[in-house]
Amino acid sequence: MNFEVIIGIEIHCELKTNTKMFSSAPLSFAAVPNTCTNEIDLGMPGTLPCVNKDAVKSAVKACLATNCTIDTLIRFDRKNYYYSDLPKGFQITQQFYPIGSHGKVNIQTDEGTKEIRLNRIHMEEDTAKQFHTDAGTMIDFNRAGTPLIEIVSEPDMRNGKEAAAYVEEIRKTLYYLGVSDVRMEEGSLRCDVNISLRPYGSDVLGAKAEIKNLNSIANVQRAIEYEMKRQNDILLAGGVVTQATLRYDEATRQTVEMRKKEGAVDYKYFPEPNIFPIRIDEALMQDIKENMPELPKERYQTYVTTYELSDYDANTLVANKELSDFFNEAVAHTKEYKLVANWLLGDVSAYLNKNGLQIQDSKLEAKELASMIDMVANREISSKQAKEVFEGIVEGKSAKAVVKEKGMEQLSDPNAILDLVKQVLDANPQSIEDFKNGKDRAVGFLVGQVMKLSKGQANPGLTNKLLVEELNKR
Amino acid sequence: MRIQDCKEKELNKLVDLQAKLVKANEKLNAVVSYCDVDAQLENYTAPTDAPLYGTPVVLKDNISTKGVRTTASSRILDNYVPFYDATVVKKLRDAGAIFTCKSAMDELGMGGTGLNAYTGKVNNPYDLERITGGSSSGSAALVAAGLSPLAIGTDTGDSIRKPAAYCGIVGVKPTYGRISRYGVIPYASSLDHVGYFTTNIQDAALALEVMAGRDDQDMTSSYEEVAPYASLLKADLKGKKIGIISNVVDAIVDPRFRPSFDAFTKKLEQQGAILEMVTFDQDLMNALLPTYFIISNAEATANHSNLDGIRFGMREPGADLTEIMINSRTKGFSSEVRKRFVIGSYSLFTENQEKIFRKAQKVRRVIVEALDDALKNYDILLAPAAGTLAPKPDESFGEDLNNTFMVAENHMLLGNFSGYPSITVPYDVVDTMPVAINLLARAFDEQTMFNVAKGIEDITGLAGMTKEDF
Repeated sequence: MNFEVIIGIEIHCELKTNTKMFSSAPLSFAAVPNTCTNEIDLGMPGTLPCVNKDAVKSAVKACLATNCTIDTLIRFDRKNYYYSDLPKGFQITQQFYPIGSHGKVNIQTDEGTKEIRLNRIHMEEDTAKQFHTDAGTMIDFNRAGTPLIEIVSEPDMRNGKEAAAYVEEIRKTLYYLGVSDVRMEEGSLRCDVNISLRPYGSDVLGAKAEIKNLNSIANVQRAIEYEMKRQNDILLAGGVVTQATLRYDEATRQTVEMRKKEGAVDYKYFPEPNIFPIRIDEALMQDIKENMPELPKERYQTYVTTYELSDYDANTLVANKELSDFFNEAVAHTKEYKLVANWLLGDVSAYLNKNGLQIQDSKLEAKELASMIDMVANREISSKQAKEVFEGIVEGKSAKAVVKEKGMEQLSDPNAILDLVKQVLDANPQSIEDFKNGKDRAVGFLVGQVMKLSKGQANPGLTNKLLVEELNKR
Repeated sequence: MRIQDCKEKELNKLVDLQAKLVKANEKLNAVVSYCDVDAQLENYTAPTDAPLYGTPVVLKDNISTKGVRTTASSRILDNYVPFYDATVVKKLRDAGAIFTCKSAMDELGMGGTGLNAYTGKVNNPYDLERITGGSSSGSAALVAAGLSPLAIGTDTGDSIRKPAAYCGIVGVKPTYGRISRYGVIPYASSLDHVGYFTTNIQDAALALEVMAGRDDQDMTSSYEEVAPYASLLKADLKGKKIGIISNVVDAIVDPRFRPSFDAFTKKLEQQGAILEMVTFDQDLMNALLPTYFIISNAEATANHSNLDGIRFGMREPGADLTEIMINSRTKGFSSEVRKRFVIGSYSLFTENQEKIFRKAQKVRRVIVEALDDALKNYDILLAPAAGTLAPKPDESFGEDLNNTFMVAENHMLLGNFSGYPSITVPYDVVDTMPVAINLLARAFDEQTMFNVAKGIEDITGLAGMTKEDF
């Protein structure tokens, strides 16, 4: 790359509240079109907005999790423009006083941890959804008025990988907060990327392209990498990059121009007169702070320090909250943290993938996985037997029941084992002789004979101990 | 007509009243749509002791009525039928009101004459040639004509209190937030108030009891407790400190005004009221109208962006969505409304906003601070409600921005800027036309306002005045 790449990202996130941002209509993904609306969402004359307190709480959580400075005086503004997906002819947003500002999040890059600054987080309402067909444009107002937060980063990212890591960090954080479904493919998390190139050392920003509505984190990275190359080639050929709005075409893996950005639209922002400023009182702030769920970065720390997982395992687990929750539940029952992680990222993940399941949808119980792992660790069953037990516990059976059912219960009664040991020694005088002559291999052979006699059920550790004691007596 | 009289009549007299209303409207041109009185009576369940039992009520046509056409006297809403009721409609119905009609208004509340309704000029029952004032024109005309004891209006810049003056009735604009605005088609949200007309103060106090109160659907509505205004009502002038706004009195040039006004104030003093002249900075008084025009139209241009012909209302054809919106809005609004949208939009442009819109908001604050200073010394501020008798439409009303117009015709904006309660009460009849004064009280002090107004009513003897032969 011959130029420095400057990337900033705007993320729109739909909040998972019961009702809309400014109306009491229910929020419902995938409901029959135009069934989750009322007169407010449809912008009928005379309607007034009423701020959703839960949405404000969610926004506060997002601000706290991203280290934003919170403006506890909530104010809204109108953004004016005419479009058929905007029933009121204006969107209620927070232009002048965003709820959060000056935030920061850390991402992991090839060079280590990097801090990405957030310019702001503000609340607003979503627009209706439009479907353009040959017969005309269909409008579904179910989405109109859905609470959104918009998270605007500073232009701190320098390549596609960093951008993807940033979006993933935000996605993960919002998901752990429980404030959103963050499903990019369904549009509950939407990403607009601003990207421009400039010569290294320059402090002037080049003409930027805005790539709209990227629907997966992989596409964020791909689109940026394509766009970096495109702008690089233009500049190297002596050309000029024009400011434009682009979309990413998944099929061709290219960015495509939607429209040139000439003189920006004047949205004539002004304070919303129907909502007086609302103060979030100290008690509510305190309540939110005290009830903050564990964040992914905190969970990662616990995994690495307390459970001594590898960096890779910790990250992989944390990236999947449900799997990570499952891990937390399992390690409440066993001290074999590393083994639990191995099983979850190995056999369990493979099983889930094969069956197209999420961990929360499977019949596997964390307690049973832990119980099975303990049996392996205590050498009550072998690793090979564990695979068989696993087949049982994913069907919802208890580990102990499978072990019993499959006849894998160990013989751990010292008297019973001693009986077997004596039988084997009586039948193998040559091996006793070998042992006395210092041939240690004889012990292995004799233990094998005891195991054989017990049909594999004798506790190997105990067998070994009793056998050596008996040998020394003879 | 008084509420108490209606409560004592048989319910089916309302059917006769409706016939009378239709007949009278041929001359007044005050009605946009009639409500189905028979249907309301069929399902009538209000107990006889309901505050508005059997009381006919007129609604201004910007108040949303489920299933009843609501046009705000604009062409673009000519076919619009709301699917929900305004909060004030629910409260009135619960109190026993029977709605008789939706009344004509200056389109979307924009205007102060009653000349700018899609149904044409509304006529003043005292002289059909003269205007009623506006924008709550039809509501004022119908109460003045004795066709309803109570009519609901809205007041953004004196739209209740001015027509009340021209039509010789009581016009009330309570404190901002006292009556919910939910379901009322707006003009300018920060200045809009729901209010009403009656023929006497007793009815005015009762009506506020019915309509006031917190509404969770209007975040600007107040939690302030609603007093039993009517039962607490007591004529009260003795020892009341009343400031008369000298700027207004001095701005009136009509030679008929002074003798009548002086006689009236003398009677107030005789009743023990303490009268003093209050003079506001003349620059502030002159700034009222331009400040109002900027703020109201800036808010209005956004408020009415929903009228685009897409989801409801009149739709003009067009090649695409943008063209449909442009055509619908071009044909759907009168030139007066389009003019105001242009002014509002201009004052919000990024390059203009600071020096026009934001400055107007600052001036509004300075004006309210001056008002607060005055109200520290007085229980009530009083001024003539209009600078002239109700004019005829050919008189070039408001064309000349002289002192009479700028101050005498616009001082009631003080009530909208501050949100403080204000009432217009007739005090005399001059050359067969009513004249009125306006009172302004402290925030949520409607009781003092009513009590002083009741004292005035007792002096003038004009309680219940109507003009039924026109």
